Amino acid sequence: MNDAAADPLDNELAKARSGERAAFGVLVQAHQRSVYSLALRMLGTRDLAEDLTQEVFMQLNGNLRSIDSNRHLRFWLRQVTSNRAIDQLRRRARLQWTSLEEETQLFSDEEDSDPLLQRHMRALLAELSPPARAVLLLRYQEDLDPQDIARTLDMPLNTVKSHLKRSLESMREKTAGLVPARCEDNST
Amino acid sequence: MSDDIESRMRAALRPVAPREEFAQKLLAQTIVDPPARSKPRDFTAAKLRPLAWWLTASLAASLVLAVGVHRHLEQQRMQQSGLEARREVLKALRVTSQKLNLAYEAVKSQSEKSGV
Repeated sequence: MNDAAADPLDNELAKARSGERAAFGVLVQAHQRSVYSLALRMLGTRDLAEDLTQEVFMQLNGNLRSIDSNRHLRFWLRQVTSNRAIDQLRRRARLQWTSLEEETQLFSDEEDSDPLLQRHMRALLAELSPPARAVLLLRYQEDLDPQDIARTLDMPLNTVKSHLKRSLESMREKTAGLVPARCEDNST
Repeated sequence: MSDDIESRMRAALRPVAPREEFAQKLLAQTIVDPPARSKPRDFTAAKLRPLAWWLTASLAASLVLAVGVHRHLEQQRMQQSGLEARREVLKALRVTSQKLNLAYEAVKSQSEKSGV
């Protein structure tokens, strides 16, 4: 939200554009968490997410001169990651969700949330179409507003809003049995 | 109710860090192939594109020119051989005419002798 304020990464971007390797490394470190999380939750496996993250940063390496600010860079990374992930998912008939060890990676486990509820939400997220999944991730992982999501995914604003509405309704309906139990637990 | 599910989604979708070894590998890889190196590659490709176009265009023009010259020379050669043939025919007619004149003269003088 404070994008208008001076961003220290703008300097690093300028240095990286002039060929400074260390500055490019700083940009990779600053954005790899977001790119990797988006890739992981879109594609479902760590290996695919790592491959996609690597491809995105390699593509950035060749396109750095067209990026004019860190804000633009964040937009570019989300756009390229989402579109590449959607393309990959469309090429594959079905998403493969693998071991439990990887499943725990799909959601952060640092908060005090119910693991059962999280597993259920993960399954529901995986059931969504690739564009709907991207919309939900950009909204709740990347904290973008619907207009920015529409720009990132090159999608009409009404489509973004209807994806959000339908996905949330579906999530609410399907987690209804789990949520009250959790609330009761918390209240005691 | 909507805020409830939304806050639950936000909590569930907090970004996760990649494995440490992957993060280091990625960093090493991007530093090995820095952005500065991609510039000359792009620059060269951009410079080579018009050069390739010019090469193709000049090759095509040379080909058209060669075909044109070849046709012109062929035409000239045919014209030349036509003139040569005409000259030969005229020469043959001239020789034949001379022979016929000689024969006529011989027949004429012989008939004059026998008539006298």
